[in-house]
Amino acid sequence: MLRQFLREPLIHFLGGALLIFAFFWATGTDRDPADYAITINETDIDRLVADWERNFRRAPTREELDGLIDQEIAEEIYYREALRLGLDKNDPVIRRRLFKKMQFIESENSQEIAPTDAMLEQWMARHPANYSLAPLYDLEQIYLGQISATTATDMVEQLQRGTSPAKFAKPLSLPATLHDATSEEISRQFGDRFAGQLAALEPGLWSGPVLSGFGVHAVKVTAKQPGELATLDEVRQRVVNDWSAARRAEQKEKALSRYRAQYEITVAGRP
Amino acid sequence: MRKAMMLAVCTAALTISACSESTDGEKISNTQVVDTEYPEQVFWGDTHLHTDNSIDAFGFGNRLDAEAALRFARGEEVTATKGAKAKLSRPLDFLVVADHSDAMGATKAIMEAPRIALLTNKFLLRWHDMMNESDEGSLQVTAELIDGAAKGTLPESLTDPKETRERTADLWTKHGETVDQYNEPGKFTAFMGFEYTSMPDGDNLHRVVMFRDSPEKMGDTLPFGALISQDPEKLWAYMDAYEKKTGGKVLAIPHNSNVSNGRMFAMNKFDGSPIDAAYVKTRALREPIVEVTQIKGDSEAHPFLSPNDEFADFGVAGWDKCNLSCTRDMPPESYAGSYAREALKRGLELTLALGANPFKFGMIGSTDSHTSLATADENNFFGKHSGNEANNKDRALAPQNLGTREGRFGWHYLASGYAAVWATSNTREAIFDAMMRREVYATTGPRMQVRFFGGFDYTADDMADLVKAGYRKGVPMGGDLSGGDGKAPKFLISALMDPESASLDRIQVIKGWVDASGKSQEKIYNVSWSNADTRTLGKDGRLTPVPNTVDLTKGTWDNATGAPELVTFWQDPDFDAAQNAFYYVRVLEIPTPTWPVYDALKFRLKLPDEVIKIQQERAYSSPIWYTPTA
Repeated sequence: MLRQFLREPLIHFLGGALLIFAFFWATGTDRDPADYAITINETDIDRLVADWERNFRRAPTREELDGLIDQEIAEEIYYREALRLGLDKNDPVIRRRLFKKMQFIESENSQEIAPTDAMLEQWMARHPANYSLAPLYDLEQIYLGQISATTATDMVEQLQRGTSPAKFAKPLSLPATLHDATSEEISRQFGDRFAGQLAALEPGLWSGPVLSGFGVHAVKVTAKQPGELATLDEVRQRVVNDWSAARRAEQKEKALSRYRAQYEITVAGRP
Repeated sequence: MRKAMMLAVCTAALTISACSESTDGEKISNTQVVDTEYPEQVFWGDTHLHTDNSIDAFGFGNRLDAEAALRFARGEEVTATKGAKAKLSRPLDFLVVADHSDAMGATKAIMEAPRIALLTNKFLLRWHDMMNESDEGSLQVTAELIDGAAKGTLPESLTDPKETRERTADLWTKHGETVDQYNEPGKFTAFMGFEYTSMPDGDNLHRVVMFRDSPEKMGDTLPFGALISQDPEKLWAYMDAYEKKTGGKVLAIPHNSNVSNGRMFAMNKFDGSPIDAAYVKTRALREPIVEVTQIKGDSEAHPFLSPNDEFADFGVAGWDKCNLSCTRDMPPESYAGSYAREALKRGLELTLALGANPFKFGMIGSTDSHTSLATADENNFFGKHSGNEANNKDRALAPQNLGTREGRFGWHYLASGYAAVWATSNTREAIFDAMMRREVYATTGPRMQVRFFGGFDYTADDMADLVKAGYRKGVPMGGDLSGGDGKAPKFLISALMDPESASLDRIQVIKGWVDASGKSQEKIYNVSWSNADTRTLGKDGRLTPVPNTVDLTKGTWDNATGAPELVTFWQDPDFDAAQNAFYYVRVLEIPTPTWPVYDALKFRLKLPDEVIKIQQERAYSSPIWYTPTA
């Protein structure tokens, strides 16, 4: 069936026409290079006048307009001659220009759409870490100073046996107790390193040494509520921003990979 | 149960984004931000960031737009123009995208315009082709643009007010939408703003202009360009007109006074006539804060002006020989009008002469990055422009576009700074208002927490509850003192190290005053320092230096030599109740490596001797002023 179809003369003819069309399209002109006719029509003249007016804030005189038209003709002649000589090949400016045009066409093709709640909720479900409300900690902490781990371990053991925290606490203007604090808030005050160690601590027990940029702390986690996924309304703006940014990136990538699939790409040194 | 859940949600949102229940128990909103009674938190931001809408940033290759800039500032990972993955170690709390107002978006438009539209404009066509041809071409165009702007020879289509207005209006509306989209009260604040790039003869009179208002309230307000006028008084008139028309609020932030050739804090106006009362009043109102530290050097102090200040040379190298464009040499006699401390002193003198102070400003840092990436950490620095991003191994030693003849190289650029704001919430209103009352401070990158209160009734016991006592019995940084019945003012000061950076060497109080002869003076007091048992004050008031523990082969240091926190109560020992004075705090970290050291480790470079490898990063508080009662 397909074979028969391909032998059809009409298909050959259409295929040939398509090739010619593709050539003109790819070389960026709608004129046949074999065509030696140049017509400057009203629209072309209007454009020349408009460009002039934009630069000089007045209409061109008759003489000036003639000059513009002659310039346009000269350019068109050399343009076509250049195409005949194949000067458009291997030109980095033209290559970059066409690349930009394709990018532009692709970005025009990708439609901006307003996401529905269902789409946004699906997005949230796929990226739970970005929209989880962080776990909440209740904790007590004392600052032990810039001391060695061994000394600190010894102090923590004493705290576990009931020694009063006041005995070891050194002054530092950070809260001694935190209530319902997110790890983000804790990072802000104590640094990432400190916050990163909390998850591993056993609740209800003085633990440590917990290290921070300030030095060494002993920490007692008194309560911990696991993090939950936020509702869409709580983080809507962020979800819309993230969803839109990701969609744009995805469409850009999709457009390129659609073409890329048709190419066999070999790079020296790349497997 | 429902109440408990709501509480959980609210606490999670942010400590300051408080929630409330109305009397009938109905939930009002969990996104409504309620301000705290006094500023409990310091918010970190950059008020000076350029994106691909700045003509030079785009020309230097930056292809990241305002959206990427906002996402990055919020802590998300983005891919920098030159391909490196970029992420802040910690998010910022606010951002002002401040693109150059002159020819905003123009390079982007020239490069992306359909070629046919430019055919009749030979000037732009040449630029268009150069930009599309290569990165070098793009750099060349940028150099020509900056040169053209300085000499006033830009093509008409870039400078024509009507054409500019049309182009800018489109772009500005779209920009407003992006900024609003990323402004999340209580979580992250995105401000509308621009940079006014006045540069007579290459002398830097730049200001960042930032708005308190939403794009909606700003209506059809467009950025004000230096092509309209290089005279800052014209900018202030624009700001006046804006506030009258919209009922909004706007402020201007001078920056890079260090390359102003003495003109930023000059004793005369733009046209050369002496400063008068009207000028003083307007300037004080319009310019409540100054950006004193950023990529292009530090403008707090200069060793020539402050020979007794052993720390005055920070960020000075490479920036004190010639003006911004390096078209004019800057003699030391010009420095007095270029550095913030001297300006604060001039302000006291002018107060006596004119009855008001034009230079009564608070201090902030910001980056002035042209990469859309607000980086100020030494080990995560993305450079001044996209040609110098983190993956360019030559950037530390390479000559730069401006002033290489005069010895300005990559390593002279600082990974600095950020703006710290003591505000009652993370919202446009609260942060802007804190800036207006100057309750702000500058850092060269690290996020140390600095408190500074002045009053007449503090006692040493108040250190125990410093913040509450500070607000109750006196004024915070940026404030005013007068009265006191001849008693010397007292100060409560604390500095908490950045837990992700270095520990602290010392706190200094810098005092400026006008002596009996009417001349301004300055003195530096070391008021609190680490290892106080082994480090002592000399007769000259100088302190034993903190040991240098930097290991250049690893890029590390030892925090045990510094203090995690310094807290002190201090009273001026040399006070004269009849003399106008100001006091501000400088906090120094222990010595740490500069960004070229991290580059050298990463790319296995050998840094020449002249490259500064070790520095003491720092914070500058806004001053507290004392004025005698008449």
